[in-house]
Amino acid sequence: MLRRYFLSLVLMLSASPALAHSEAGVAIDFMGGFLHPIFGPDHVIAMVAVGLWGAFLGVPAIWLLPVVFPLVMAVAGAFGVLGVPLPGVEIGIAVSAIILGSMVALAAKPPLWIAAVLVGAFAIFHGHAHGAELPVGADAVAFSMGFVVATGMLHVSGIAFGTLSRWPAGRIAVRVAGGVIALIGLAYLVRAI
Amino acid sequence: MSQLLRTVLIVCLVMLTTPAWAHAPIMGIRGVLGGLLHALLIPEHGASLVALGLVLGRQQQLARRSGLLIFAAALVCGLVAAGLAVEAKLAPDILLVATGILGLLIAAGWGPPVLGWPLAAIAGLAFALDSTPETTSTDETIRMLIGSGLGAIVALALVAEGAGVLRGNGQPIVARVLGSWIAATAILVLALRIATRMATG
Repeated sequence: MLRRYFLSLVLMLSASPALAHSEAGVAIDFMGGFLHPIFGPDHVIAMVAVGLWGAFLGVPAIWLLPVVFPLVMAVAGAFGVLGVPLPGVEIGIAVSAIILGSMVALAAKPPLWIAAVLVGAFAIFHGHAHGAELPVGADAVAFSMGFVVATGMLHVSGIAFGTLSRWPAGRIAVRVAGGVIALIGLAYLVRAI
Repeated sequence: MSQLLRTVLIVCLVMLTTPAWAHAPIMGIRGVLGGLLHALLIPEHGASLVALGLVLGRQQQLARRSGLLIFAAALVCGLVAAGLAVEAKLAPDILLVATGILGLLIAAGWGPPVLGWPLAAIAGLAFALDSTPETTSTDETIRMLIGSGLGAIVALALVAEGAGVLRGNGQPIVARVLGSWIAATAILVLALRIATRMATG
């Protein structure tokens, strides 16, 4: 009998917390924040598309768009954290992938301010969605840093791939990538509706 | 005790163990070195120094060094206040707001001395007041505060002078992106802190 009690006690001490889902277990530090945007494919394709489009448009869009996106995203994220509602977030995210992917696929070169406004407008949806999912009470600084750095790295990866557009074959590859992003966005839109 | 029970017990005890760190990243290190590491390794402190350094780095040499002196003066005042156990609960939030504004200025590629200097003073004061070490010994507190001050001034001078030297070599674009990241982080952290306070009452 004593052995059973002892064994039960040891097993109880060995138990780890039953977290609602696996990500919550890590979503309190830099790595949790870093992985947060990467776990959402709909976010990933839109952020890569921002980098692709920036590279396609050239200087100054190549750095202006990745500067505008995190700033607007953070403001919208703050509203999401504070529980301010925003309708049609999932639709907005899907449309962002369609529009941004289409811009790359069609090699669209609108005036810089239009590109910045478009990217900023779509960043609202992405930021709000992320903000609403951020764990309140997390190690705020480390988590937010990881989150913002991951977003920036996704832009950088898009820019890196987008620089292939300097060569004719690379230009085709970048436009195809934009088309694929738009199609994936369309699939997300159908699912969201 | 049966063989099985012994095995289960050993397995459970092994699972219960945690790594035996020589010391926590900062908690185990005290004195001037502990204060120096505190200034450099606390994320919001490091971000504020980088942001202020990049803003000052955009300015001409005289304005840049004036900004460094203003920061140092405010920092010393704040460290003296921290040494006298002046309580400043809002210091971390003020430092974060200053860091966010500095990040926005970097992202905008605009940081005139008329804005940079007051922000240097606010950041220096808030930085120092947020550096109060958790020690009971007065000597230890003073040593750690001296370390924090030295670390902050040296780090800021390195970033500001480095940014000043690299000005024009592609640095503005890197700085703008970095500034946007710093500002975005500051905005999110402030929102998370407000939400946490609202949730905990």
